[in-house]
Amino acid sequence: MKDEKENEDGFLEHILLAKTDFVMQRVGMETNWAEENLQTIRTLMERSAVYRHALAPIMLFAGAVGVLAAAVGLIQHWDSARAFGALWLGTAVVAIAGAFFIVRRQALKDNEPYWSPPTRRVALALLPPLTAGMVLGVVFALFPMAVAVDFTLLLPFLWALFYGCALHAAGFFMPRGVKWFGWIYIGLACGVLCFLTVVNPDLNFSGHWLMGFFFGVLHLAYGAYLYLTEKGKNAA
Amino acid sequence: MNPEPFLQLDRVIHEKGRLAIMSMLAASPELSFTELRDALAMTDGNLTTHIRALQQEGYVAVAKSFQNRRPLTTCSLTAAGRKAFAEYINLLEQIVRQTKSK
Repeated sequence: MKDEKENEDGFLEHILLAKTDFVMQRVGMETNWAEENLQTIRTLMERSAVYRHALAPIMLFAGAVGVLAAAVGLIQHWDSARAFGALWLGTAVVAIAGAFFIVRRQALKDNEPYWSPPTRRVALALLPPLTAGMVLGVVFALFPMAVAVDFTLLLPFLWALFYGCALHAAGFFMPRGVKWFGWIYIGLACGVLCFLTVVNPDLNFSGHWLMGFFFGVLHLAYGAYLYLTEKGKNAA
Repeated sequence: MNPEPFLQLDRVIHEKGRLAIMSMLAASPELSFTELRDALAMTDGNLTTHIRALQQEGYVAVAKSFQNRRPLTTCSLTAAGRKAFAEYINLLEQIVRQTKSK
């Protein structure tokens, strides 16, 4: 059959599925293909069950919260490391709580289990980088050391890098776009940090602008993209 | 090694594209054509061919409707499809057990 000869690119290319070969001589040579098939099936089923439709509202909510927090920080001039850290760690808590609420609402609506194995995997993938970012935030912002470093300008990059790593890790169990979104964070954090330290080290501005961009604008942009493509997606 | 499980594997499912479609559908009540296409990185033509093969076998049901005035194609596993998929998994597990006990 023609379709059997066609090679799907992308994701499927990396999957080692058994060849359609029932010749018994090959059985001994392909001792682990059945296991690989089972693993592939498990991965696909888990990927399919993660809350796809909740992603757009989560991103839009996180973006709105990020932009709002940046505006509050800029207007109130909360520029000390302690105020900066408290504002953004609090914002992170609100964003995470909101994401859980949206996922729970989606689960109830679709009659799906809330804390399913795929959800647990996504949460576990997110946990290490987010925990590391949070700990660094607490240490640097709330207990600033006596060194001449403006932590309010350093933390946005560290948080963006950790967040990018978290998205990339979670992207293995979610739609492919999440992985790319993680790469965008990592790339932008590295790029902007290099620009500010190497090309234009004298530039002086509030870290809230960076946070507003990384955690407000980028989330809003991705959420809008998901929302718009989700609307057009179903047309087929 | 007992060759029986290998010979019983459903050849319609035992193809990487169709197996991927069956796996995705087994975990969801239904998925739209485009969700399947994007998740599996398949072309429209390729996915259509695979779905048609599964539909002919009675494993997949295809429903066409409209959402916001746009055509919506959704796919779901039929009862026969779920049964065939479960049997396929059972056979794979048998093969794995045989391989390990060898």
